[in-house]
Amino acid sequence: MKKAVGILGALLLVAAVFASGCISGGGPTKIVWASTQLNPPEERAFVLNELIPPFKDKTGIDVEFVPISYSDLATRLEGEEQSGKVTIDVVADLHGGLDYFNAKGWLTDLSSKIKTLQGRTFIESYMKYATDKNGKVFYVPWMSATYVMVVNKEAFKYLPSGLTEQDVIQGTDKWTYDALLAWLKNIYEKTGKKAFGLPAGPKGLLHRFIHGYLYPSFTGYEAKKFDSPEAIEMWNYFKELWKYTNPASTTWDAMSDPLLQGEVWIAWDHTARIKNAIVTKPDKFVVVPVPRGPKGRGFIVVLAGLAIPKNAPHPDEAWKLIDYLTQPETQVKVLEKVGFFPTVKEAADAVPEGPLKILVKGVTAQSSTKDALVVMIPNLGEKGGEFSGIYREAFKRIVLQGEDPQKVLSELGPKLHSLFKEKGIPEP
Amino acid sequence: MKTKYIPYLLLLPAIAYLLFFIGYPLVQALYLAFTKNGAFSLDTVRRATSDPTFWQALKYTILLAIAIVPVQLILALILALAVNRAFKGKDLTIYALIIPLTISDVAAGLIWYTMLSDYGFMNKLLLNLGLISQPIHFFGYEYRMMEFLAIVIAEVWRATAIVFVIILAGLQMISKEYLEAAEVFGAGYWTRLRKIVIPMLKPSIQSALIIRTLFAMQVFGVVWILAGRDIPVLAGEGFYQLTEIKDYGVASIYALTIALLSIILGALYVKFLKAEYLEVRT
Repeated sequence: MKKAVGILGALLLVAAVFASGCISGGGPTKIVWASTQLNPPEERAFVLNELIPPFKDKTGIDVEFVPISYSDLATRLEGEEQSGKVTIDVVADLHGGLDYFNAKGWLTDLSSKIKTLQGRTFIESYMKYATDKNGKVFYVPWMSATYVMVVNKEAFKYLPSGLTEQDVIQGTDKWTYDALLAWLKNIYEKTGKKAFGLPAGPKGLLHRFIHGYLYPSFTGYEAKKFDSPEAIEMWNYFKELWKYTNPASTTWDAMSDPLLQGEVWIAWDHTARIKNAIVTKPDKFVVVPVPRGPKGRGFIVVLAGLAIPKNAPHPDEAWKLIDYLTQPETQVKVLEKVGFFPTVKEAADAVPEGPLKILVKGVTAQSSTKDALVVMIPNLGEKGGEFSGIYREAFKRIVLQGEDPQKVLSELGPKLHSLFKEKGIPEP
Repeated sequence: MKTKYIPYLLLLPAIAYLLFFIGYPLVQALYLAFTKNGAFSLDTVRRATSDPTFWQALKYTILLAIAIVPVQLILALILALAVNRAFKGKDLTIYALIIPLTISDVAAGLIWYTMLSDYGFMNKLLLNLGLISQPIHFFGYEYRMMEFLAIVIAEVWRATAIVFVIILAGLQMISKEYLEAAEVFGAGYWTRLRKIVIPMLKPSIQSALIIRTLFAMQVFGVVWILAGRDIPVLAGEGFYQLTEIKDYGVASIYALTIALLSIILGALYVKFLKAEYLEVRT
């Protein structure tokens, strides 16, 4: 009797092991996709419900999407590469992060593989970023994003003399920060409205406007000339601009709602954060390039790429996922759902007429201005928060509290410069 | 098993729970706040307290509590006294008063933000009535006083209900006999209120005050939505340090400051608002 129970128990155990899949029972291969991108709940739902299922249906490969922060990803990748037990098959991260991983020697060379991708041409400047100095392609450009200006067509009625609608839409030489100020002043004098809006709330991206747009446009650099005379000129300009900026800006995290409410007519923000306004009222808004400053038209391009770690357990399946994610149709879908822009030219052409076309047009106009001064967000790892914090503090003290720019910059400058020194990164 | 161990045994799950969910994070927070490279250091404390925002956050948190809690107590008391008698539609009134309790603080903040914004309901109403010619600005760094007011309005609207419920429960526990006896001896409404109702309500008032003051120390969602960081508060700055700046040490200092304040205030309430039970005293 006892023996029978023992046998039965053993059988049950074996059955349980098979049922749980501990011993590979021939089910679909599962690959791990660790991503610092598309992590917010809405975007994550899109990945799980719309992006992965068609891929699984087509190839039979199951994908485990692991949303992860940059610092966690760096720690995990380092641990896995050092112990030789790699579990991640595909890494999705911003250019800066991938560049760092490549410098550490953790990424596979994709140079020969990328040539096999059919029916897509990657935008040249993006490919340049994805190739290191030894000619190794260490990631495949996947999504891009930038920050633009949105103009409510109503504002065009109040253009200052010397500036035309075409100047603004095409981003000509006349579309300068001074012209923007004259325009806003004109609106204020005629309507009493502070028509400019910035996402200066606690979760807003104001710091990107300062280090990625104003600084390069006025000083030519993001951080290098943080406390230079040109920077002081820039801050004085910003103080002037703030006079015509809606004061409620300090409570706004995204510009979509204030634009839709009509609280502001001209706003600057991340494409993903203004997309809703364009989609809701496509006839009301135009997306335009940002103005230029004395040193050029500074703007940020955010580039996300896909890479395969060295010794990844399923490199072939991982490559199939990358192939799928960079197909023009998939890229258009990503643009439609989460507002990140394609990295292959064919996808940009495939965008249907409508709100998204307005966005794509504006972004393309911005990236093809001839005085473009493209900057990237410096990769300071866990110090990234501190970096942004310094620009925000400068804004608070100089613009909101009216402190002397010279004094504030000479106090904050050394802090900023030491961040780059600590990380051993040249100042951009 | 000896029976004397049973109470301890029964307490064990609760203690394990507290150790795991309160004790461990507390130790972790203390570790983050008071060590540097594994050794004891006040470096993080200095970093947190040398930032003027820390003191502003402390100031505004306390100011908000001072502005909000008394208003809530008085309002809740009036409402509870008004509702605590038989009239038609009494249940409905109570339900209506409790509705804000079911709304999260972030949602409450959003509701009031849309109500008070330049193009919100309030301004539109006043403009249409011809009472104002320009919208009243409630939001923005330049209008911090108005933001403060908006927070007080939203918090009073949202969280008076909990005080109301506690006080109403307390009122209903007061035996009618005391009041009837007082009436027989000729005590008017105010005398009854002062000499019988309020003293007997003390335990309820005490619990309501403790709950509200401690929650006020953690005020966050409403402030975050209505004023962003224009009006810094301890919980908001802790959150900001944690999620945006990623300075876990300073974030722990904020959390520990809230904990310390709560402990001190709780102790003060218990000491100075000692509840008197009339039944026991005789």
